Amino acid sequence: MFDPSAQLLAFNSEELQEKVFPKNVIQIGSFAVNDSVISGFIVVIVLLIVALILRLTIIRKWKTTPTGGQMFLEWLVSFFDKSADEMTEKYSGLMGPYTLGAAAYICCGVLIELFGLRPAIADVCACLALALCSFLFIHTLGFVKNKQRRLLHYVNPINIITDLAVPVSMTFRLFGSILSGMVIMDLIYIVVESIWYFGLPVVIPAILTPIFTLFHALIQSYVFASLTLTFVSEAIETRPKKPKKKRKQKTASPAAGAAE
Amino acid sequence: MELLVTMMVNLLVDMGPAIGAGIAALTGLGAGVGMGIATGKAVEATARQPEAVGKIRTMLLLGLAFAETTAIYGLLISILLIFM
Repeated sequence: MFDPSAQLLAFNSEELQEKVFPKNVIQIGSFAVNDSVISGFIVVIVLLIVALILRLTIIRKWKTTPTGGQMFLEWLVSFFDKSADEMTEKYSGLMGPYTLGAAAYICCGVLIELFGLRPAIADVCACLALALCSFLFIHTLGFVKNKQRRLLHYVNPINIITDLAVPVSMTFRLFGSILSGMVIMDLIYIVVESIWYFGLPVVIPAILTPIFTLFHALIQSYVFASLTLTFVSEAIETRPKKPKKKRKQKTASPAAGAAE
Repeated sequence: MELLVTMMVNLLVDMGPAIGAGIAALTGLGAGVGMGIATGKAVEATARQPEAVGKIRTMLLLGLAFAETTAIYGLLISILLIFM
């Protein structure tokens, strides 16, 4: 007796379970390498090679009348530089390249799913590493800009918890959305296998992949970059000193009155 | 009576993770309402001031990311409940 629903449920609990959590490929004692780490290294190598090729071909032939590739590169770099300029005034030289690098890593780390590998970001540790990089940037720049005055920020102990929650929430936002996209796509692949109509197993994933993989990759990399910039701009804003401000107001008001 | 209680307990033990996963999926309610309000306000703002559409889009995406976070937490919890 063929029962399609029972077959689907059986698929869900066994085949999907293997795909949700990363598998350890190499394990020597407590040192373990899973398949997400391997695809992460592949992404890094591919990004470095692409950067080298772009440096040797397009950037060497930089012209005043731009070609298509030059236009795209200029748009990409100036997009991140401009948003870094708006948010973090004098540290934009540091934050622009960092956000571009993080966004490129996230985007390519998710899009590697299209080649059949496990996404590099679908591992909590990869997300935690990225979030800790942002955490480091936020607080280093905050202390560099405001020096010891930033410690006044921690007089209210709730701010400590708020600051510690930032990397955790960044980690789980990235991990959750990438993992959910991956799980939905895996579910679709499993369901599609049992459909034997001609062509449908090819057409359905082709329609759904842009929604759950491409869309997630672009949106999450953009959100990660702009969240980092927002938190950095929050950390480096200078707080007005209260006693000095009162003195200034007192001295300023008679002068203003005299001027009037 | 005892049989009924045993049945209920067995059901809860078997189906507990599934029920928990269903309850965790209710986080989608709040996220949906929040994202709807944010999008509606963004549309209003764009209608009032069409030249500020770039800034509004940036802020809207940030707000949507924040609102989406709670739904993602719920999803993560239900995935962990089902598969762990």
